[in-house]
Amino acid sequence: MNAPVSPRHDVMRSQLGRARGLGSGHSGTGHWIAERVSAATLLPLSGWFVVQMFRLGGADYEDVAKWGGKPLNATMLSALVISSFYHAEVGLQVIVDDYVHGKAHVPAKFGVRFVTGLLGLLGVVAVLKLALGRPASKA
Amino acid sequence: MVELRLPRNSTVGKGQFFPAPAGAKTVRTFKIYRWTPDDDKNPVMDAYEVDLDAIGPMVLDALIHIKNDIDPTLTFRRSCREGICGSCAMNIDGENTLACLKPIKSMEGDIMINPLPHMPIVKDLVSNLDGAYAQLRAIDPWIQADSPPPPDGERRQSIEERAKLDGMWECILCFCCTTSCPSYWWNGDRYLGPAVLLAAYRWIADSRDEHTGDRLDSLEDTFKLYACRTIMNCTQTCPKGLNPAKAIGRIKELQVERKL
Repeated sequence: MNAPVSPRHDVMRSQLGRARGLGSGHSGTGHWIAERVSAATLLPLSGWFVVQMFRLGGADYEDVAKWGGKPLNATMLSALVISSFYHAEVGLQVIVDDYVHGKAHVPAKFGVRFVTGLLGLLGVVAVLKLALGRPASKA
Repeated sequence: MVELRLPRNSTVGKGQFFPAPAGAKTVRTFKIYRWTPDDDKNPVMDAYEVDLDAIGPMVLDALIHIKNDIDPTLTFRRSCREGICGSCAMNIDGENTLACLKPIKSMEGDIMINPLPHMPIVKDLVSNLDGAYAQLRAIDPWIQADSPPPPDGERRQSIEERAKLDGMWECILCFCCTTSCPSYWWNGDRYLGPAVLLAAYRWIADSRDEHTGDRLDSLEDTFKLYACRTIMNCTQTCPKGLNPAKAIGRIKELQVERKL
């Protein structure tokens, strides 16, 4: 008969201490609102974009560049790009919270912000180039 | 980091087979999770053939029959056998429910019985709920009021105020909902889980409680409350027919209301 081995405990902190943990982070509502508001703004913006793409179907580069250079279209395009990548940022944070634990959690959250932010910026710069650059048709 | 496989000692093997007695007519097989801390072996699924004509209609009747007449080493919790104590909460045929309220004939084929998912196991079907109980304690599940109660009686509520607690006071804390929630599996150390959030809302909604703001403050957290992804497993599995997801939604609404 083996002598019973007493189990080794890595954590002896009380369950209540663990449940209370570090307390409330006093944030989360803003993120929750941002998820829903960005999703809602994407609805009309995406609808507008799809309609415009059908209208421009088959158009050549000059016409599309001219279309994208108009202030109203450029504004709508920038709004679409910003909303999309903001929504992606907010949504991907949730996935990181769910699946990435331990030491990788915080770097992953900042990584998501950095990548989505950079991609969004790239999109906005592209739209600005269309709107503020030399008109392509007057070459 | 991301975990894609079970830990090696969680892989479930095949266990013993206990055939039905000769002459049994209505036989069903119960495959039951077995694990003991007394040896270093992995968990196994033991198979018990049970003569349904010899026992009552519920899964708990079968478990008691197995323990009394087939295999006394089978370990599970039970007490009231009428769905009010919450002791016999377990995963039956893939669904968290109370063994005493689950009719055997509501299921087809072999019946798989596992402990509540993703909790530490004490033995066999007994899971360790200490963490969930502590989370309940952490939301202060009692009335907090600074006004003294009337000297001649209890704190009073209107009929409408009392009606707001319906659908919440009935919770028996069996934790079927909490242990069915993927968000709780992933972040059970920080997310409070549906049972505890339902209890939290029960006190937020109580007209006699005067610490509503403090309660909302302590829940305002990326994980404690907002790790809820509205998966709705909690509401689907609740053996008492309650709706924890709705209570969580109401807490979020109140958080938004006081922010905007």
